[in-house]
Amino acid sequence: MASTRDIRRRIKSVKNTRQITRAMELVAASKMKKAQQVALSGRPYASLLAAMLAAIADRVDESHHPFLVERPVKTRGILLISTDKGLCGPLNANLFRMVAEITTPAKFYVIGRKGAQYLSRTHRDLVADFPVHDRVPFSEMRAIGELMVRHFREGSIDTIEVLYPRFKNTLTQEAKIRPVLPLRNLKEYVAGLAASARSGQTAPEDKREVHFEPNATQVLDALLPFYVNREIHQFVLSAKASEHSARMVAMKTAKDNATKLLGDLTLEYNKARQAAITQEILEIAAAQFAAA
Amino acid sequence: MPLTLEIVTPEARVYSDTIDGVDIPTVDGEIGVLPGHIPLITQVAYGELRVRKGAQVSCLAVSGGFAQISGDRVSVLAESAIEEDKIDTQAAEAAMKRAKDDLLNQKLEPAEAERLEGVVRFAVAQLSVKGRKR
Repeated sequence: MASTRDIRRRIKSVKNTRQITRAMELVAASKMKKAQQVALSGRPYASLLAAMLAAIADRVDESHHPFLVERPVKTRGILLISTDKGLCGPLNANLFRMVAEITTPAKFYVIGRKGAQYLSRTHRDLVADFPVHDRVPFSEMRAIGELMVRHFREGSIDTIEVLYPRFKNTLTQEAKIRPVLPLRNLKEYVAGLAASARSGQTAPEDKREVHFEPNATQVLDALLPFYVNREIHQFVLSAKASEHSARMVAMKTAKDNATKLLGDLTLEYNKARQAAITQEILEIAAAQFAAA
Repeated sequence: MPLTLEIVTPEARVYSDTIDGVDIPTVDGEIGVLPGHIPLITQVAYGELRVRKGAQVSCLAVSGGFAQISGDRVSVLAESAIEEDKIDTQAAEAAMKRAKDDLLNQKLEPAEAERLEGVVRFAVAQLSVKGRKR
């Protein structure tokens, strides 16, 4: 049996671990709340954008715009949204498993240090990696969106896809890959968006002829890149919410494990202490017996 | 018959109220919107957006985006928007100076330069909204 001093030392270290993991859980929990709120605050914007796209989609021939035309896919462009820090359970591992499954030629764009490290370790074609602040300002997303859109236009990539941990609920996040460009069918897509976004408020439908300034094509040209940026922004927000909730759950498990271990160790320590006392009494009794 | 004005940025719903009229800066020039306007979709430029409600006129600085007028709803999607009394002149000036320095000092990628120009233009819009009152 281990000596009481050894056990005491272990108890101390487990207690420290529990304290740290508990603190990290609390931090992650408050960050998660904020991240979820931010993700929600993007909703009205999404529904408005959908409404605008819908209004234009009805009036523009969709075959002319490069964002709407499907072309043979030679190289996929994939934006991998990972985390900067570890200690968030299987979140990144799940993403990387998806990456490992991709065998077609692809170029990668990365958010988060972990993803960049993984891709360079596995010798993937890493085009750019971006640091993203915890608050996910829209301006930082623009840079990413614009770079990808430029490569898409130049033809070095033929699709824009986003691989991110989708926030399902606090306990589960799943790695998902979502196509952003080309928009296969604008009208169909807009209908889907409108159905999901406009559940609360239904604006009275205006059936009159809509006027465009300067003209419909030009508005669409400006609106579509904008839409791509916003879409990426929304994905990153969702990924952030996932990251923080995954970290919170991982830390909670670690804390619970530490508590359990602490219980076991305390029991063992008490047993050892009791055994030592019994031993001592026995020895004293034996010594007295021998002296008498 | 009042108009409903909604100004939304990716980060928040900045403004939402019923109003009597609004002047929107667009890429083709400023347009005034009154109740009964024809349906319109247009591109919003950097500048000053004036909201009239009764006798009261309030101003907002907006950056580029889009506006949709449909029925009695005016929706403005902007990358950023800020109400007049929330504008921090010093912060705007500082942001403008920083962006200008960056623009002058380094060789930039076009996208980055464009972003910085956007910062400058939004700062100018903020300052002009603020300065008009003084």
